[in-house]
Amino acid sequence: METIALIIDNKKISCPPGTSILEAAQQNGIKIPTLCYHPDLKPFGACRLCLVEDENTGRLMASCVTPVAPNMSIRTDSPDIKRHRRNIVRLMMAEHPESCIVCNKGNRCQLRAIAAQLGIGETKLYSMPNYKPLEQANEFIVRDLSKCILCGKCIRADHELVVVGAIDYNHRGFISRPATVHEQPLEKSNCIFCGTCVSLCPTGALSPKTEYYVGTPERESRSVCGFCGVGCSVTMGVVGDQIAEVSPSHVRTSVNGSTLCVRGHFPHEFLKAERLTQPLLRKDGEPAPASWEESLEIVSTRILDIRKQYGPQSVAFIGSSECNNEEAYLFQKIARVLVETNNVDNPRAAYTQAVLRRIDEKTNGRCRKNPLARLENGDAVFILNADPGEMNTVASFYLKRGSRKGVSLVMANPVRTELTAFSSAFLEIRPQSEFELIKGIGALLYEEQATENGCASPEMQQRSLFSDTDLDKVCQAAGVNMDSLKQAANVLRGKKVSVVTGDEIMLAENGAETVNALLELMAMTQSLGKEDTGFYVLAKACNETGAYDMGLLPDALPGRQLLSDDSARKHWEDTWKVRLSPDQGLSAVRMIEEAEKGNLKALYILRENPFEILPDPDRVRKALENLDFMVVQDIFPGELTEMADVVLPGAAFFEKGGSFTNMEGRIQVFEPVVSPPGEARQDWEILGHLTAKLGHSEPYDSVEKIKQEIARVIPMYSEDGRTYGDWIR
Amino acid sequence: MKPKETDWNQLFSIIEKHKHEKWGLIPLLQDIQESFGYIPPDSIEPVAQALNMFPSQVQGVITFYAGFTLKPRGKYVIRCCRGTACHVKGSRSILRLMKKELGLEEGETSEDYQFTLETVACLGACFLAPTMMVNRDYFGKLSPTKVNSVLSQYKKSEKC
Repeated sequence: METIALIIDNKKISCPPGTSILEAAQQNGIKIPTLCYHPDLKPFGACRLCLVEDENTGRLMASCVTPVAPNMSIRTDSPDIKRHRRNIVRLMMAEHPESCIVCNKGNRCQLRAIAAQLGIGETKLYSMPNYKPLEQANEFIVRDLSKCILCGKCIRADHELVVVGAIDYNHRGFISRPATVHEQPLEKSNCIFCGTCVSLCPTGALSPKTEYYVGTPERESRSVCGFCGVGCSVTMGVVGDQIAEVSPSHVRTSVNGSTLCVRGHFPHEFLKAERLTQPLLRKDGEPAPASWEESLEIVSTRILDIRKQYGPQSVAFIGSSECNNEEAYLFQKIARVLVETNNVDNPRAAYTQAVLRRIDEKTNGRCRKNPLARLENGDAVFILNADPGEMNTVASFYLKRGSRKGVSLVMANPVRTELTAFSSAFLEIRPQSEFELIKGIGALLYEEQATENGCASPEMQQRSLFSDTDLDKVCQAAGVNMDSLKQAANVLRGKKVSVVTGDEIMLAENGAETVNALLELMAMTQSLGKEDTGFYVLAKACNETGAYDMGLLPDALPGRQLLSDDSARKHWEDTWKVRLSPDQGLSAVRMIEEAEKGNLKALYILRENPFEILPDPDRVRKALENLDFMVVQDIFPGELTEMADVVLPGAAFFEKGGSFTNMEGRIQVFEPVVSPPGEARQDWEILGHLTAKLGHSEPYDSVEKIKQEIARVIPMYSEDGRTYGDWIR
Repeated sequence: MKPKETDWNQLFSIIEKHKHEKWGLIPLLQDIQESFGYIPPDSIEPVAQALNMFPSQVQGVITFYAGFTLKPRGKYVIRCCRGTACHVKGSRSILRLMKKELGLEEGETSEDYQFTLETVACLGACFLAPTMMVNRDYFGKLSPTKVNSVLSQYKKSEKC
């Protein structure tokens, strides 16, 4: 490959053409100070701090925007350059207010760090602070533009990474500032408060709004966000035992890179709400604090008693798709191995998991890994009845960036969303007409292929789904006109198609057929199981995929194996050394029905709220009142914990270790950032103690042990037979 | 007298004209400014949509250039040159006189939308210093009497 040879600080360097001087220097361990440069953003040359000198010509140039050229001889720290840099920073400081003491950015302020690095104390310049009104009416971001140094990182992040365009530079010279349209406050603009700009701001001009001033966090730890299925890598700043700040971890290989959404960035304050801090036992009709030992003893003896008296079918377990993999595995193991029932479910993600299961069956598991990056670099994306912007905001950034780069988006949705403006074709379809619509698009593409080949090949004739479709009927059923349908098909023609959809397609009676049709469409366009396409199912909860993989379902075993599959069941019987019933367990809805009838006696609810998830809360309440024994393991008190016989306080996602499997299929391991409040414990620990009480011989005394077991018994989760980790690097 | 309501049809025909031009934003904005005397803030969104840009970017360009304005301006835009040559020749006094005569500060527009007073860094006619412009007409070698006669000429032309 062609390389360019140059000298930087007397060091001979060669790098590919097009590399900037700054990148070349950084790759070779030469440090050049910067303020406006960020690897995820296009170089901009705004701050001029990265000035370097070409010794041959004596020219000064901003190294971030100057590409390397042959025979350059660059100096990065000659006295002359240092003098220039100092002057630039002095000017910035002269314009900066002297509010460092109360600035949240504190020691993380890059302006302060660079001033110190360059040895600037007093600027010895006439101070001209550029006071701007402090904007803090919105819920999330405090804007103090008097601290702005005009590096443009917020503007570029807004335009390039999240593609919202809420702000841009306004005016010129000294009064120039980032501003929204009509110079409205942020809350009146189209800002989505993703906070990406806040985490990139080098000074205190943008900061997250907090209830109390806490200053610089004492320490920072990495974790994975648990507020949706994308699983963004986050860095949490901790003061004492409180999370003070959350920002994206800025790791390039992570799902989110430098972006994050409003849910991930700001709502950690919810933790300050009242939490469950102590196990509660119902004594004389009233919940009373109890010790862990006593509580778990009661849970295990009561469950075992009920099983003995009424049989294993009288005990059921409702888990959650917000549990991490280790908890989910342990929870279903308790049900299947120790209580010997298949009554285990995670109702929140039922529809998503149904879509995943359908895809898995049809493709033999070849479609399990769908890196979101493919949405940005692919050919075309078909979005069917889904609102990524609302459900998985960070995934929608990929789509919007892709659209800007030339990926064609075709969207079929009952309502217009933010992504409509980015689509090449938009079909406003009737609800639950997805199947018809895909048939229509498929038929149009199929006709084309058939006529191209002269006649339909035998292989194609097999695809009978699209071969004889009445397009007029399709248009009528889907409520779209023929022209827009043809336009949509034209956009997709000849392209590799990725599919983005949500669980709503399963609400239609023919939901399963819709999934089949989507797979057919992908197969026909030769996009199925390819390196640059994917079938993306949006996930609301953080571990919907993982809960499915761990077998937190009444009719599936870990590793996405079916309970009805004899050989799979045999395998798990051998692994766990128990007899497994081939009968499908109760789904959450059936559990409620059985409880109503009085057949279900005991229910263990882990991190789930049946009132929210299941229809008809009154009926659910009556059914739950009918139970003999109910255990609730959760983090917040509520209606459910008031009804429970035993309440076990668990931990929020950043208070425990474990792993989530995100909507891409990426397994992400994380460690606890802070410890759970009061006597609350990590959920795996509670379940681990319970396994011992229920008679499991081997104790689960560390999360590592559960991980190792999962890696050993579920092939999908073993990388080298011992452990698992991120599969996208 | 209030400025006219924005004529949307006219606006959209201007947008349509420049929509497919490469680097069409500035010619488009100039056209709007020419037709309406200013750029109506409500036109930012349609312009942005037509050119596939963010509205904030369009506004950024408008506010960057002194030649574009988002506020309605008077029928006669009076520009007083404050360049070096004019300054030496006493343009400070000329400006003071204009302010007094028009009753306006720099950048202001009279309530009846007849006059807008602006200063510019240089009109490029230093040999005529001190200079001023009214819309597209130059007036050079100004003296207080000449300024008075120029201004009264426009004030008078309004009355009849």
